[in-house]
Amino acid sequence: MVRGFGWAAAFPDEVWEHVFSFLAADADRNAVALVCRAWHRIERRSRRRVFVGNCYAVAPAAAVRRFPEVRAAAIKGKPHFADFNLVPTDWGGGAEAWVEAMAEGWPHLEELRLKRMVVSDDCLELIARSFKNFGVLSLVSCDGFSTAGLAAIAANCRNLRELDLHENEVEDNCLNWISHFPESFTSLVSLNIACLEGDVNTSVLECLISRCPNLKTLRLNHAMPLEKLVSLLQRAPQLVDVGTSKFSADHHPELFSKLESTFAGFKHLKSLSGIWEAGPTYLPAIYSVCESLTSLNLCYATIQSPELLKFVSRCKNLQRLWVMDLIEDNGLIAVAASCKLLQELRVFPSDPYGVAPPISLTEHGLVAISAGCLMLHSVLYFCRQMTNAALLTIANNRPNLTCFRLCIIEPHTPDYISQEPLDAGFSAIVESCKDLRRLSLSGLLTDRVFKSIGASANRLEMLSVAFAGDSDAGLHYILSGCKNLRKLEIRDCPFGDKALLDNASKLETMRSLWMSSCSVTLGACRQLALKMPRLNVEVIDERRGRPLESWPDDFPVEKLYIYRTVAGPRSDTPPCVWTV
Amino acid sequence: MGDQSNSPSSSIDSSSHPALCSPSSIFQTRRDLLSTDLKLGLGLSTSALHGCSSKEREQLSHWPPIKPLLRSTLEEKVHRSHSKTFFVKVYMEGLPIGRKLDLFSHNGYDSLMRTLRRMFRTTITCPDTSRVPPEKAHVLTYEDEEGDWMMVGDVPWEFFLRTVKRLKITRADKC
Repeated sequence: MVRGFGWAAAFPDEVWEHVFSFLAADADRNAVALVCRAWHRIERRSRRRVFVGNCYAVAPAAAVRRFPEVRAAAIKGKPHFADFNLVPTDWGGGAEAWVEAMAEGWPHLEELRLKRMVVSDDCLELIARSFKNFGVLSLVSCDGFSTAGLAAIAANCRNLRELDLHENEVEDNCLNWISHFPESFTSLVSLNIACLEGDVNTSVLECLISRCPNLKTLRLNHAMPLEKLVSLLQRAPQLVDVGTSKFSADHHPELFSKLESTFAGFKHLKSLSGIWEAGPTYLPAIYSVCESLTSLNLCYATIQSPELLKFVSRCKNLQRLWVMDLIEDNGLIAVAASCKLLQELRVFPSDPYGVAPPISLTEHGLVAISAGCLMLHSVLYFCRQMTNAALLTIANNRPNLTCFRLCIIEPHTPDYISQEPLDAGFSAIVESCKDLRRLSLSGLLTDRVFKSIGASANRLEMLSVAFAGDSDAGLHYILSGCKNLRKLEIRDCPFGDKALLDNASKLETMRSLWMSSCSVTLGACRQLALKMPRLNVEVIDERRGRPLESWPDDFPVEKLYIYRTVAGPRSDTPPCVWTV
Repeated sequence: MGDQSNSPSSSIDSSSHPALCSPSSIFQTRRDLLSTDLKLGLGLSTSALHGCSSKEREQLSHWPPIKPLLRSTLEEKVHRSHSKTFFVKVYMEGLPIGRKLDLFSHNGYDSLMRTLRRMFRTTITCPDTSRVPPEKAHVLTYEDEEGDWMMVGDVPWEFFLRTVKRLKITRADKC
């Protein structure tokens, strides 16, 4: 028997590297790295993909030093609630520190994916110049850059395959940035510019598309007129994923038939999105692709139910459907009957502020889907009413749910039939759906629902809570249960100091905790920060100018963001953020 | 009905809804943002009222949780349906006094042409389909946001509405 861990030396490093290359999951590679020093060394030198869930959890230089051979990096910045304007715009999440460290230490980087970060044009230029074999740039929900930065990427990244701009805020100051792709550039496989506001030069885009034979994904922006869209799409019948521009225009029979023949030419189309402002006029022109679609995103298509229904019920192979609540219950019942392969459903509110007459989308639609679509595992549903009975039925129908996000638009809405809180319904969901990883609660809820969640939701990784609970007990149930909880975000709940302090050590097992408009005091934050040196306890307050030190312990904290980190307090906090 | 008053009394039966005491949660319904029958009865502590700023009130309205792109798409749709008029100046060559026309009251080029023909008592034709000799025909042109004069009818109606600044009826032989 070989003593100690000498067995690791029985094979050369390359053999172990090859073995480790079969481990895709970061968790597995992390586990391997803890076995012995040799494996730690071999693993770190062979890791090619890195995912940093919180850009402040580790110093960029440390990450780059530990894994010198990384080819693909994904980094996330701001907390999720930044999507709903709850995080001050200057909070942080700047990409410079990371991009500079990567430019220095990972010259062979090929893929970079940033989410909710502030990316400047300088960053984009640095990316463009630093990585010779750069292939994939994905920016999701980022801001801070302009089309001038995109021009730099276009001009310098000779081997760019993917440029994915998803829901970013981009300043439009370089109208012809697309023309910066050189004539010799032919490697594009995926281009998503759906979030750009300005007009894009169609003829330049046409040239680009014509010379990129491998183009599979093309998502255009709102601004392009339908005619131009059609002539563009005609150049790329090989597309698998299309995001159209505006889908409305005056009825011209010629345009209709051109659109029809263009779409009939798509033999491989699987995914369709865009369809901004679709009117009933042009939608029938693309019926020919319905049968082959697996993914359909109509959440910007404000068409009414009959046309919407006609279109969606033809899509028999749909796996993912994102749609407006204009589809109504009847529409969802039809979807439940036609789209048997449906896995993911998202229904968005067409009238979130309730100024128009109410839409007939209720709990019945979701119940029908849960009954008819046996493979359904992911739900995001905005509606105005719900019952415990409906939730129970959904829970029983679909124990395979992994993501359940229900947003009842009015806070504190009870079961509209029994007037009871929706505790029983959500409890049924967590008790039945053993693989539930993500849950968002809404409606009238007491501490009881948190007791169920804490006890039953063993696989839960992300929980979003708003306008719920009665007392600290609610938060305590969550933090003392939910073994696999990674992200917890809470707004407008009466949760306070005691639950936080009693469960301080839990916070280090999680990526982050966000609490806003709750009942936490500054004193508790101070105590927590003292007790847990490897947590950054950030108090965010945009109201007062006085420094944190002068505030008393009983001062109510407006917004709180706590995250684990090995990098210590960050150095780029803006005036409204204090690391306690 | 939405109003600006800060009512601390709860309108929900306390037995089914224990008072939620959240120091910084103050709900003010704004008609344009929250549903008008939103009834939130929350126990308020007095310190909360002092700490309230208009900025805070706005943040509380960041509900329901929809992303900015969807939010702005919906707002634009509402705005467009509420925007009642879009008047532009119309001149005819040879006439010093112009007219004003509401483009939003038309749903397409045909409707626009009909109105202009009636207003100016002249035939306005599309130059390529015209059978009228050029010296007698008029065509409709518009000034776009870049200051260029363009022929009306080339681009889809909605696109035209977004770029048009003013209209001019000119003689066909000038085009």
